[in-house]
This record gives sequence, structure tokens and C-alpha cells, in this order.
Amino acid sequence: MNTPPLQSEATNELYEMLSPQLRGELARFEQVRIVPAGTHLISCGVPPEHLVIVNAGKVEITLNCSSRHAASLGYSGAGKVFGMRALVSGELPEVDVTCMESCSITTVPRDVFLALLKNNPQAYFAVAKVLSSDLQIADRILRGNTRRGTLRPRPRPAKTV
Amino acid sequence: MAMAYNFHIIEDCLKCAVREQRLFCDLSREALIRLQNIKATSVYPKGAMLCLEGQPPRGVFILCTGRAKLSTTSSEGKSMILRIAEPGEVLGLTAAVSGTPYEATVETLEPSQANFIAQTDFVHFLQEHPDVGLRVAKQLTHNCKCAYEEVRSLGLSNSVPEKLAKLILRWAETPLDLPVKKQNETPLRVTLTQEEIAQFIGTSRETVSRVLANFRKKGWVRVKGATWTILNRRALESLVTT
Repeated sequence: MNTPPLQSEATNELYEMLSPQLRGELARFEQVRIVPAGTHLISCGVPPEHLVIVNAGKVEITLNCSSRHAASLGYSGAGKVFGMRALVSGELPEVDVTCMESCSITTVPRDVFLALLKNNPQAYFAVAKVLSSDLQIADRILRGNTRRGTLRPRPRPAKTV
Repeated sequence: MAMAYNFHIIEDCLKCAVREQRLFCDLSREALIRLQNIKATSVYPKGAMLCLEGQPPRGVFILCTGRAKLSTTSSEGKSMILRIAEPGEVLGLTAAVSGTPYEATVETLEPSQANFIAQTDFVHFLQEHPDVGLRVAKQLTHNCKCAYEEVRSLGLSNSVPEKLAKLILRWAETPLDLPVKKQNETPLRVTLTQEEIAQFIGTSRETVSRVLANFRKKGWVRVKGATWTILNRRALESLVTT
């Protein structure tokens, strides 16, 4: 399969808030690749090494509830950014993000992204927007599902070795 | 220092004694000076609405003292409490950052002081000061963590006794600090009404009343006004299966 071109001009919830100059700075360090279904883009409890941007494909976000059960927070796809919360706050991810099919992703190394934030504080607004979108997903789940007890515990996805 | 509703009004953030303990407020001196210029301090009585769900975002409220409940309407049309905001929290943050309507109604649970910052001023403040941006990110992370915790603890519970037990046990993580405490008893300060507790766990006030009466009858919890005391923690924990 041909590797897609660099995605610095592509639309995603982070890049659409950044200036062309900042997008260009990130583009130098981006890596674009295709990952198969079942790949964990983010793993609960594992510090992410990269910011992950989904270019194409479908992913599922699951919240770990216990050592054996997880609850689905829904599906997402092209344009969504993952790992932001853990990278910026230093806390461990609480969710797994798993590819439901073959996905095209762009990764930006953690240190590169944090350096960009440090040197360009205006980029924090873009960060805040991405984090707000994550929070809106969680709030929607609370509003729509939890009161009816329709979240179904299911076995946690197996970790990739 | 001015006073209202029996608490001191914090007019100057630079002189705030608890600033360093707060998630958002522990900013650089430069950012605090700017904050001082863009904020408007107000004191609110219990039951004041700081913002309404669905309202276009006007700005954010930094809760200096007091507590507030964040409530919304579920997909079934029922009012439900998402969480209780504590001093130091920035309310209306998601709406102000994303430009979308407020996602929840914020109502004070007790007399409170809140500093209002208009949306455009807040966005500029965030863009100009990296430490503000980091604090905003941490606040949003904290809010997300609370939401996930709600999904975990309440969304997967099927019975009201389990949900109420979970809620009481969560409150027990910050017990009342009394001068004299009995061993094996955990005192709590609960200022929510039974109706509000019902909205919190997604049931009716009558069901909360019935379940709580059952807990009291079994000697698991003692209720005296706003002071609840856990008498048998193991019994409550035994109800929690998820």
C-alpha cells in the first residue's frame, strides 16, 4: 500500500486551530503510517510517546472500569486527535483507543509537541479546544447512557505485545 | 477586607492566601496582574445561577469560595447533576474555549464568590500566557477525569442502593475533620438535598429516601441534618459490585 503524503495541510481538530507556520514546524517531525485493525493507538495506563492524529479509519474509545471490564465511549475517526490529555498533563491515559479497521495515522513525537507548546503559548488555545472536545464526549455519555444503565461492561481489549 | 455572607471577599488575587492550593490560580505574577485587570468579582447567594445550559458563552467563572452544582438535562428529559464544583475551579471553560453553548447549568449550593472573565478576554489571556494555557489544560483534564469517574461508578451500577453506596463512599474520601471522632465512624458533610442526590444518581427523591431509610435502619449510616456518619463501611462496600 502506498504511504500517503505528509498531512501538514490536512484538517484535524488540532491543526485547524494552528497557524500555517506552526503546522509547518510539526510537519518536519510527522510520521504517517497505516496500522491494522486491532492496533492500540493509546493504551490505558501507558504514557504515550506520540500525539496521534487519525487521518482515515474508525477507532473505538473504551474506558477501563476495572481490571477485567471496559465501557465503550463510542467511535471516532478522521480528524480526531488522541494523547493530548496525557502529553500535556503528564497523567496516564484512562482510555484505550483501538483501531476497528485499518487506519491511516499521523504521529508527532511527544517532545517535539511539548517544545512547540513551550515556544508558542498561543498554541495552548488549540490544545484547550481538543481537550474540550474530549470532555464533551464524556458529558454526552453521562447524559445519554448512564442513567439507564446501558453501558455494558465487556472484557478489556488485549494489549498488543 | 470586605465581608459578605460570613466569609471574606478575596478582591486581590495577588494577596490570596490559598492561591497556591488551587488548580488554576497558581499562576505567575505577570499572569496574576493581568487576571486582576480582566476579572470582575461578585458574591452570590445560595441558589444563584451563574450560567444556564444552552446559553451562548459569555465567559468563565472562577469559583473562589463556596460550591456549585453542575446540572444538565438527560436524554430522557430529566434534570441530573453532573458533579459538584469546588473552590478553585473554572466554570464554563469548555463553552468559552470551544465557542459552543454552556453544556450545564451552574447553580451555587451555598453563598459563593466567583470571578467572571469575559470570553474574549479569557481567550487572549490563555493565548498570551503559557502558564495559563497549562492550567486550563490541567483543569480540562481534571474535568474529564471526573466525568470518566462518573461514567465508571454510576453508569455501570444497576441498582439504586449500589449507586447511593458508591456516592457515600466517594464522599468519605474527604471526611469531616471533627475534634472528637469515634473509631470506625466516618463523618461527612452533606449539603445536597435528597432531591439533588436523586438527580446525581439518576433516580427519584422517593427512592433515595427509601434506600437511605433502609441504610439507617440497618445501622450503616446515621443522618443528623447535614452531617452523615458512616457506621458500617464494609456493609456499604459489599453493595458495590462494579
